[in-house]
Amino acid sequence: MIEIQNLTKRYGEKTAVEDVSFTVRPGVVTGFLGPNGAGKSTTMRAVVGLDTPTSGRALVDGRPYRELRDPLRRVGALLEAKAVHRSRSAYDHLHALAATHRIPKRRVDEVIGMTGLERVARKRVGGFSLGMGQRLGIAAALLGDPETLILDEPVNGLDPEGVLWVRQLARSLAAEGRAVFISSHLMSEMALTADRVVVMGRGRVLADTALQDLVASGTERSVSVRTPDPEGLRTAIAGPDVSIGYEQDGSLLVRGIGAEQIGEAAAASGVVLHQLASTEASLEQAYLALTHDEVEYRSEVAR
Amino acid sequence: MSTVTPSTQQPRNPQQHGGPRVRFSGVVRSEWIKTRSLRSTAWTFLLVLLLSVGIGVLLASLANPDGVSITGDAARNALVQMATSGTMVSALIVAVLGALVVTGEYGTGMIRSTFTAVPRRWEALAAKGFVLAVTVFVVTAVSTWATAFAVLPIADGRGVEASLDAGVAFPLLGTSVYLTLIALLAFGVGILLRSTAGAIATVLGVMLVAPVVVQLVQGFTDAAWLGTLNNLLPQNAGAPLMQFGTEDTSGWHDGVLALGGWSGFAVLTAWVVVTMAAALVTVEKRDA
Repeated sequence: MIEIQNLTKRYGEKTAVEDVSFTVRPGVVTGFLGPNGAGKSTTMRAVVGLDTPTSGRALVDGRPYRELRDPLRRVGALLEAKAVHRSRSAYDHLHALAATHRIPKRRVDEVIGMTGLERVARKRVGGFSLGMGQRLGIAAALLGDPETLILDEPVNGLDPEGVLWVRQLARSLAAEGRAVFISSHLMSEMALTADRVVVMGRGRVLADTALQDLVASGTERSVSVRTPDPEGLRTAIAGPDVSIGYEQDGSLLVRGIGAEQIGEAAAASGVVLHQLASTEASLEQAYLALTHDEVEYRSEVAR
Repeated sequence: MSTVTPSTQQPRNPQQHGGPRVRFSGVVRSEWIKTRSLRSTAWTFLLVLLLSVGIGVLLASLANPDGVSITGDAARNALVQMATSGTMVSALIVAVLGALVVTGEYGTGMIRSTFTAVPRRWEALAAKGFVLAVTVFVVTAVSTWATAFAVLPIADGRGVEASLDAGVAFPLLGTSVYLTLIALLAFGVGILLRSTAGAIATVLGVMLVAPVVVQLVQGFTDAAWLGTLNNLLPQNAGAPLMQFGTEDTSGWHDGVLALGGWSGFAVLTAWVVVTMAAALVTVEKRDA
């Protein structure tokens, strides 16, 4: 369980995180979203005591991380790929970390097995691919069998199989009652993984809500319709809130009225419909709408 | 690489935090695993051993060209000089090693793993310094005594009649103490500066450049206090630790303080303590 209370972190003049409060609860996967530079990594670093807050607190199981007596058994953190000495083998790296907490060697072998690193465990980490580095970071996070997991961009550099594996891992860890805190830029992946989401922009929390609520709130529902008689349909569903757009593929995009009403109105007026489909609201749309004004480094061609 | 579903985990009781806590002995063990799992450490120590014995043997085989037999304190002094002749080179090597054991962690990002596992940073660094000190002491003791035993028959063959008695053993032990303290000094500088290049440049600057600069300025100004300052620099303060019979010559001479074995040890230790204290205070406050 992670509680962040009015956390503010400044680096000199620059405010990275300002008055951020939220809670990462057990049994739930909490997604952590936000554009680059939004303060996600700073927040995560503050939780594990690497950065000292300018003001406010980040608590793990009710205590600041640096006061924990057995931190690896409470929190497992993957903060950046390869926080590892390049000349050391994966096994020796994990063994050295395990020794601090008297975690037995068989647990080292166990996490190596869980993360699929058996074949490369004795090789120097310097030669690892980004994906293998991520797996090693996840292995280190799992080492102490902790109740809370912090995974910063865990799927970065993983192949599709690895991405699926991380999703299943996060889901099963939460199902076991652990608190899972996971950041990612892959919205489609996060939509499948997270129960709750915390969205940050320019150092502030923009949203802290259930995934479904964020998805529902962020998008204007629309209905895609195909008909040989567009004018007939337009007359049938006309209303003050209804707008109809003509798409390039010949379909109509209707806003302001649901698919059911469109179908009933078309039937009542005898207008033939070839297709009637609600466009699915997506996390990506909701996220982009939410963070539109908060992106620090926007590319000119974006959207 | 196979994908493993992690549901094979054993069932746990979420209330249970039964594991042992972080103890200093565990952190020391962790640092020892780190030390022995880097091949570069082993190579460094092998280099120290080979250079120490090599330089000592070379010097011994050139010693006393007249072949006139040397006895007593002169012989013991000569033996100590031969056995410790590689120390200057060893000092540079262990200084680089002392800086590297911590700047290497900063450079690779490993330090974040270290401080996440041991959030009381002084504890992690104390363990690291402890393992560094013990390994450097043991390795340099082996290399110094190996050099002494290699040199002994050669020196004897060239008319230097000395044995490894207590008077000789003391500076040989002092050599290991000196090298251990130099490694710890470099370690402290490494913590403060974090960068390998900066730390090594600083340590070598203090060891090699500073004495030359001070001596040069002293040569121009003839100020006695500069002579004292020169003798208090880490490199020179430590020198009496590995010299034979320095206690007789220590004290003030013409306004310049000359250090003996014990006072040199105290001054060099003070350098280490001050540097380490500054390093530990800094590292606790700094973002890692």
